[in-house]
Amino acid sequence: MIYSLDRVTKFFPQWREPVQALSSVTLQVHPGEQIALLGQSGAGKTTLFRLLNATLRPSAGSVFFDGHDTACLSGSGLRAMRKRVGTIYQQHNLVPSLSALQNTLCGALGRMSLLATLRGVLQPTKADSELALQALEQVGLSDKRAARAAELSGGQQQRLAVARVLMQSPDVILADEPTASLDPELAEAMTSLLSGLARDARKTLIMAVHKVDLATRHFPRVVGLRAGGLSFDVPPSEVRGELLNTLYARNGNLTGESDVDHFQYKLRCAR
Amino acid sequence: MSTTSSTNSVALDSVSARCQLLTTSRHILPIVAVFALLAVSWQFAAIRPGVLFQPATAAAIWNFVARLFPPDLSPNFLRTVLQATAQTIATAIAGTLLSIAFALPIGILATGTLWNRGVLGAANNGVAYKLGWAANRLARTLLGFVRAVPDLVWALLFVAAVGLGSLAGTLALSVAYGGVLGRVYADVFEHVDPQPLEALQSTGATRMQIFLRGVWPQALPHLMAYSLYSFECCVRAAAVLGFVGAGGIGYEISVSMRLFEYGQVLTLLLVFIMLLTLTDAVSRYLRAHSFHRTDRVRELTKQRKSSNVRQFVSKSRRLVAWVSVLSVTAASFALAGFTPGTLIQAGLVTRLTDFVRRMLPPDLSWAFVSSLGTALLQTISISLIGTLIGMALAVVLAVPATSTLIFVRSDSPGKRGIFERALRSFLFWSSRLVLNILRSIPELVWVLICIIAVGIGPFAGTIALGLHTAGVLGKLYAETMEEVPMRPVEALRSLGARPPQLLLWAIWPQARPLLSSYTVLRWETNLRASTILGLLGGGGLGQAIYNNVQLGFYPRLSTLILIVYALVLTSDWIGERLRLRVA
Repeated sequence: MIYSLDRVTKFFPQWREPVQALSSVTLQVHPGEQIALLGQSGAGKTTLFRLLNATLRPSAGSVFFDGHDTACLSGSGLRAMRKRVGTIYQQHNLVPSLSALQNTLCGALGRMSLLATLRGVLQPTKADSELALQALEQVGLSDKRAARAAELSGGQQQRLAVARVLMQSPDVILADEPTASLDPELAEAMTSLLSGLARDARKTLIMAVHKVDLATRHFPRVVGLRAGGLSFDVPPSEVRGELLNTLYARNGNLTGESDVDHFQYKLRCAR
Repeated sequence: MSTTSSTNSVALDSVSARCQLLTTSRHILPIVAVFALLAVSWQFAAIRPGVLFQPATAAAIWNFVARLFPPDLSPNFLRTVLQATAQTIATAIAGTLLSIAFALPIGILATGTLWNRGVLGAANNGVAYKLGWAANRLARTLLGFVRAVPDLVWALLFVAAVGLGSLAGTLALSVAYGGVLGRVYADVFEHVDPQPLEALQSTGATRMQIFLRGVWPQALPHLMAYSLYSFECCVRAAAVLGFVGAGGIGYEISVSMRLFEYGQVLTLLLVFIMLLTLTDAVSRYLRAHSFHRTDRVRELTKQRKSSNVRQFVSKSRRLVAWVSVLSVTAASFALAGFTPGTLIQAGLVTRLTDFVRRMLPPDLSWAFVSSLGTALLQTISISLIGTLIGMALAVVLAVPATSTLIFVRSDSPGKRGIFERALRSFLFWSSRLVLNILRSIPELVWVLICIIAVGIGPFAGTIALGLHTAGVLGKLYAETMEEVPMRPVEALRSLGARPPQLLLWAIWPQARPLLSSYTVLRWETNLRASTILGLLGGGGLGQAIYNNVQLGFYPRLSTLILIVYALVLTSDWIGERLRLRVA
């Protein structure tokens, strides 16, 4: 069991009342599994990812990664865990003023010693830069290696974020709607790239997908998230109309937030 | 195998891409040049790091620090302090008001869009146009000159012209900050929205009407804000001007320093810092107040329309406000030495014209000008090495003062022991405290302290400049690094990077342009400052300025001022180009 979530709840303290982003989510993930995550915006997908990559600590319940409670990890143990989890963010979260190659190299920071980092600022080791170039080639960006991340288009930035994860070579890949900013063809290509990668290298992949057909065609397991709780957890063949209707129905204002509130809240979480 | 070889060749291609973080090969020449420049500067600024580690230095510093305590709080001295503080505040208020009075007409003359550009300029031709153009150029040049000469040099000149005391300080403030404000006012006038002006002109309004109805209402809020900011600067300056005999807290500090009464110095410094903090708070309050005032007043008047009593109350309140403003102004001018009696007695105008006559023509003999070469190079060297020392110290202090590096979000995983948390808070707050102390003590006080440690000369000036710069830049560096977009930083943290790696790979690359441009800007300020450090024994041109004032060689003094002017113009030009490059 690579992930085991036990009644995980997450509140964000707010001015008037806390916002509940996740409520009592229980989930088991086996190593090498590929899971598509479906849900409206505001269903808690991003919060779930931030809990899974140990950026946040749950308000209640616990997240076990490979048998360790993430809330109890610290120092080198925490870094060792984070090293094994690679995240592709919705907003890419690249360092805008670094070149594509350097952004890719960032993926290896977790396994570089401090001395190597200092040296790497001037001149990365040959092995590292070769790996980084391979990663860039794999996502089709090798001709853009010297361009700064800020100069790349949305789609190219997305692929660069994938290259950073390839460089990191983690056991688990978390992808938070990496296809949201891409046109349908690129979204398809990106999804098959990630799922193929995970299949070949036996990596665990959890990916938030904004289109149902992408989820059903590429993933053997589909999880629906609604208003902070698990809605369903089924193989793709069982994803049908009524399940989707409950998932995407305008919710009865369960969390008591309007779209605008939700947007602001999401902005705040992102900081 | 074939893929490896292809990536190898790709790797060779991308050498330049790889090392962009710090250097590329085309940067090597400038770097060599910079190092050569610094080596020469090191020589001229007479940097002797060995002196810092001599037992005598340590003993002198220890002696100074030990005698700072306890601060002198005897009633007699406190009365002197109170008087000096009142004089400083009065000088600042009177100086600000006079500088506004000086800046407004010149600022209007210096506004290009009112005379020779844009709507108003295009309509005119012939003699009036040429006259306007000439006045505009003249005003701009005058403002440039007035701004380039440091406020302390103005104070020295006025002390020489009208004698010791706060009258000289007030005049110096009004001229020096009048120059700054005039330039700012001109910029504000130039950047108002031109469409209403065009509309007014098409109705046949005169230039005066267009200014009063079109430009002025748009510019007023900005003018107020900048004038308020200028008042803050004036308070700081008013306290410092006393070092050359212009009264106030600075004068008391320099007297106590010379008498080795360090307990008094500590009291004065504490009062000085309190005064600055208070001014800061007051102006922040006023700014917040005036921004929302228009809306609130409208709302209040709507509510109050019915009640006559309330109208009476608000009227009388306004009356009280006006009376108190007027009386504060009158008191300030009186305290600053502007009573009608002293003005007539002092024969202000005749004294000033007399002084100007004695300064002209400048002494441009080769023997004198060539003797200034060393002092000039010393000044430049002090500014360069001082900025460098400041940068180095600032980097060391800014890293622990960056909250995003030192603290982690409270809801992120990981156990943190009480000891570790205490250590982190201690690091953060102590570095912030050190930065604040370095920053709030002015360069000139640092010069006096450094002279105690390493003796008179450019070395003392350089260290003093470095310490103050470290405080200013350290705070800016820490704030810039804190305000960098956090998403990339969090992304790298979540893939297992340690704090030093975050600093190098995510924070520094994002903050670099801003940090460099702050540093260049600070160097420009420091070059101005290094021309006056010598007034108190910190070496450079200031030393020559001070000597020639003392000896009454006024034609030489005007030469020196011209040199300072040229130096500042050059540094502005270099700084602007550097900032364009680093941004």
